[in-house]
Amino acid sequence: MIELIHLTKEFKKPIRGKGLSGMIKTLFSRKYEVIEAVKDVSFTINEGEIVGYIGSNGAGKSTTIKMMCGILTPTKGKVLIDGVEPYLKRKQVAPKIGVVFGQKTQLWWDIPLIESFKVLKEIYQISDEDYEERLHFLFEVLSIDKFLSQPVRTLSLGQRMRADLAASLLHNPQILFLDEPTIGLDVLAKQKIREAIKLMNAKYKTTVILTTHDMNDIEDLCSSVVMIEKGSIIYDGPLINIKHKFGNIKTLVLSVDPQLNLDDVAKFKGNIEIKKEEDRVEIRFDADKVKLENVINYAFATLKATDMKVNDISIETVVKKILSEQEKSK
Amino acid sequence: MLKRYKPFLRANAMDLLAYRFNMIVWLLVTLLQAATLVFLWVSVYRSAPGGIDAVINGFTYKEVIVYTVFTTIFTFVTFNSETLWLINSDIRKGTIGNYLIKPISYRGKFIASSLGGYLTMMVMFGLPLFTISYVVFGLVGFIAIPTWYDLVFHVFLFLIGQTLAVLLNDVISYIFGLLCFYTSSGWGLNQLRATLISFLSGTLLPLAFFPPVFKTIVNLLPFAGLSQNPVLILLMKYDYLMSLKVLGLALGWLIILELFAKLLFRHAIKKITVQGG
Amino acid sequence: MNYIKLYFTCIKRSIISRLEYKKDLFIASFSFLFSNLCALLSIFFILQAIPSLEGYSLWEIGFFYGFSMIPISLDHLFSDEFWLVAYRRVKEGDMDMYFLRPVPVMFQVFAENFQPEGFGEMILGTALIVVCSFNITFALSFGTILMMVVASIFGAIIITSLKIIFASFAFVFKSSGPLLQIIYNFTNYAKYPLKIYPEFIRFILIFLLPFGLFISLPVDTLLRGTYNPYLLSVGIVVVASLFFALAVRIWTLCIQKYESTGS
Repeated sequence: MIELIHLTKEFKKPIRGKGLSGMIKTLFSRKYEVIEAVKDVSFTINEGEIVGYIGSNGAGKSTTIKMMCGILTPTKGKVLIDGVEPYLKRKQVAPKIGVVFGQKTQLWWDIPLIESFKVLKEIYQISDEDYEERLHFLFEVLSIDKFLSQPVRTLSLGQRMRADLAASLLHNPQILFLDEPTIGLDVLAKQKIREAIKLMNAKYKTTVILTTHDMNDIEDLCSSVVMIEKGSIIYDGPLINIKHKFGNIKTLVLSVDPQLNLDDVAKFKGNIEIKKEEDRVEIRFDADKVKLENVINYAFATLKATDMKVNDISIETVVKKILSEQEKSK
Repeated sequence: MLKRYKPFLRANAMDLLAYRFNMIVWLLVTLLQAATLVFLWVSVYRSAPGGIDAVINGFTYKEVIVYTVFTTIFTFVTFNSETLWLINSDIRKGTIGNYLIKPISYRGKFIASSLGGYLTMMVMFGLPLFTISYVVFGLVGFIAIPTWYDLVFHVFLFLIGQTLAVLLNDVISYIFGLLCFYTSSGWGLNQLRATLISFLSGTLLPLAFFPPVFKTIVNLLPFAGLSQNPVLILLMKYDYLMSLKVLGLALGWLIILELFAKLLFRHAIKKITVQGG
Repeated sequence: MNYIKLYFTCIKRSIISRLEYKKDLFIASFSFLFSNLCALLSIFFILQAIPSLEGYSLWEIGFFYGFSMIPISLDHLFSDEFWLVAYRRVKEGDMDMYFLRPVPVMFQVFAENFQPEGFGEMILGTALIVVCSFNITFALSFGTILMMVVASIFGAIIITSLKIIFASFAFVFKSSGPLLQIIYNFTNYAKYPLKIYPEFIRFILIFLLPFGLFISLPVDTLLRGTYNPYLLSVGIVVVASLFFALAVRIWTLCIQKYESTGS
């Protein structure tokens, strides 16, 4: 079980003057400003849950995760993993957790993948039997056997992510932290990663904390969601509540004839927002209230669209909506 | 057109200012290092036949101390080029592609960057340090007080020499940096470069101390212009004729090395292998 | 936890990594030797003009220099990664992975990189000692031999400890590379007999950055019988232990300030 109790992290940044002359002044001054990346955050994650930890860029997600892993030490408050603080008792907590950072690899760049695994085997003191068993499991789930003898620097992004995920699972951790694991991956690769996570959770009851910007990841994997904005928690609860709260907002982006004038065409029978700019039209609507196929028909039949893209609601939009909701209720 | 390089000039200047703690510590301890080297020299002269006032290789102990202090300040102020590491980093991270498609010369941005660093360092540290040292040494009689116009001329020639030294150092770093295309040993190449420069530029010891044959060769190499020559111009150990000769030599080398760098760049580009997927 | 086995596994991996770049290894080894040679030549050129330095012959100075390379190369073999830590790994947030593992961070830094170049340095130093000793008379006894061995090994420990201390500052100041560089450069000053320096420098080189303690003093004892070799040996061991304990303490405190990158 993971508990965050009044967790706070402050960073001291020297105040820089603007431009070159400002920087010269900074050389001789000692003024700092304190940035609160994480402010008094508290929540609990139970065993076996898959939790989505989301927020806009710079909200404090990675900072929180790093404190939960033991990389950063909190300024105030604490993190407890099964009652132990990870940044104090690394030796005790590290075998229980596995981490994947989407932007960095924990593998060694220039050596074959299997060599990295061998080192990890020693570090985590995995027995020979367990090691063999795990490898076979990971081959099945992530298909990494195909590039096992290739140096990590030669792998594609998708392959590297699978390799990193495998590395993090090698010692059979009870808790898995995934920081943007699907970033930059194509649809198929993302699918594979998600399947692997679901399997781990189903088979071993692995607790998973996932940060991502992809709402599809959240929808596919998470039962509950914690949202952070500017260092504070703005939502902590089941995913269903948010979805139903804000509806199923979709955005259709269309390519149209630039000559098309929206005032001339027939209006759509339903509640939609429509905007036109040059040869682009954007239609926003709630797919729970208005049928998607009707909007698509309208797009092609009436607007004579030549190309179309369907976007789901973005995390940023959800955050904005939650924040404005909270403002309204004040 | 030159405006395009301004951001690089400013960026390096700001970088230097940002690491203020490092800078000041670096300065203090560099001075301490110089002091220790001075003690070695004093010992050497004390043990010389003829006692402490002996002239060895054309230097009295006073001259050698002044020389050491000035070359220390000079290297501190002038050599702040991270050119080699930047190139190495571009290769490692595969970002070199970004620069090849921009309308800015790859070489040019390093020159701008080094010049920016040099100007900042000169203003922040060089001017005060050189002035103080000159005055102090003049007061204790280690330097003969010159006529004002001699001083002005020599300072002028010195500044030209210093600029040439910055550019020379940059092109040498650039060439070594390009060699990183052929191997991935940024560290090894940098060490080689740093050793060659400190040994052959007169920083470790005045080039006059090299044995006869080596002395002639070393004084003709570009490295002499990196440290010894500008300082000796400032200290007026070179008369006008000699000063112009060494400046000409530095300029000549600069042109040759820039041409070489251009050719090397063309060859190296063909060899690009970007790492990673 | 069998740390020895783990260490060898990691070193094996480090060597495999380096062998991936054979050209690299060659250049690095070559330039390292080259820089040592240039330094030697510089001294040689400076001293050529005089018959002796403060009463020490050219050969004796060479012996000082050669011996200094032994503890320095020993330290170089094992602790080279601390340079990278000080210069950029902390700044770039490249230390995250170490904090995730059930093994002390310092151990992982040691195990990250084994530098075979150190062997080149050691051989050069030994060769220099051997060549110079033909032209020196000195008092070899059990005591002095013990002293030299102790000075080599525990001297290396002192250098490593200082490296660790100054690399630790990177966690607080983001980068401490230049500072570490300068401290390390003081090892150059211990390569000469301490007589050439005034009191306060001698003080620094014995009590603050005690490079003189395990280089200049033992060699001086060997050549001139200046100090009691047994007492000096004990002194070196004590200082080494103190420095190492201090290094571990400072490191442990400083890594708590690690800030990584990103938000």
